[in-house]
Amino acid sequence: MILKEKRNTILEEVFRTEAGCVYQSDVENCFYVDFGGRAIKFSILCFFRLKTLVDKVNLPDMAACPERSSDIEIISPCACEHCYVLTLAEIAALKELLAGAKVMLELNSILKERLCRLVK
Amino acid sequence: MKDLLRLKTSLTEEIEAVLNDQIRKEAHSSALYLAMASWCDRNGFDNSADHFYKQSDEERQHMLKIFKYVLDLGGTAVSPTILDVKFEFNSFREVFEEALEQEVLITQSINNIVDKCHKAKDYMTVEFMNWFLNEQKEEEYVARRALELFDVIGEEGTGRWEIDHQIPKIKYE
Ligand SMILES: [Fe+2]
Ligand SMILES: [Fe+2]
Repeated sequence: MILKEKRNTILEEVFRTEAGCVYQSDVENCFYVDFGGRAIKFSILCFFRLKTLVDKVNLPDMAACPERSSDIEIISPCACEHCYVLTLAEIAALKELLAGAKVMLELNSILKERLCRLVK
Repeated sequence: MKDLLRLKTSLTEEIEAVLNDQIRKEAHSSALYLAMASWCDRNGFDNSADHFYKQSDEERQHMLKIFKYVLDLGGTAVSPTILDVKFEFNSFREVFEEALEQEVLITQSINNIVDKCHKAKDYMTVEFMNWFLNEQKEEEYVARRALELFDVIGEEGTGRWEIDHQIPKIKYE
């Protein structure tokens, strides 16, 4: 994993799969997506934009389409300087990673609400 | 770990998606009413054309209202693409039938949103959508009234001319 090196921001692991990991930085209020050999920083909005774009890719359609160009999908969220060029298998893996991360973020949200905000 | 989700927006991904869907539906309504205005204009029903121009403007305002709400709450409002807007109608009456049909569809759609908001405990959006429920009461009333004119006045002779002149007088009070 890329993010082993020391950073001046503390990263907390949100969700990890075989293919990658999503981290959260409480200092920078952002996420790092470590996937496909690169760690990319996303603002909260860009992170969800990325998820929307990845979820939009229809895997069965992609697999069924005989054209060479349909073997890969280019995903560039929020006009970020980064873009992903992904194969079908990679998209499936990224979908899983982002979906898992979202569930963990929602869980965190629920816990914060029940355990912290409501008892104050 | 901070609750970044809540810090950025009070809308859940699901509610944001249904609101964006409603933005698209209001934009579609606006485009459809514009097509109806065009049809009425082309066929000599000037008052009805005006009625639909106004309706079209109103629907755009509805769209913007939701658009700004989504942004105010820290969400992402998406400018919709509108495809397949019907622009040919078989008769004067059919235009008004479709208009009522469209309003019924919008009411159902808003009911569904309110239902989803209750399930998601998003009472802020419930409160916001209340305005739209009230608006639909008026919209459906006007559309239904217009259609009733066809039965009350009848289409024979100068009937359609008379109907066209009664359309602007419909008011919800
Ligand atoms: Fe509307
Ligand atoms: Fe309407």
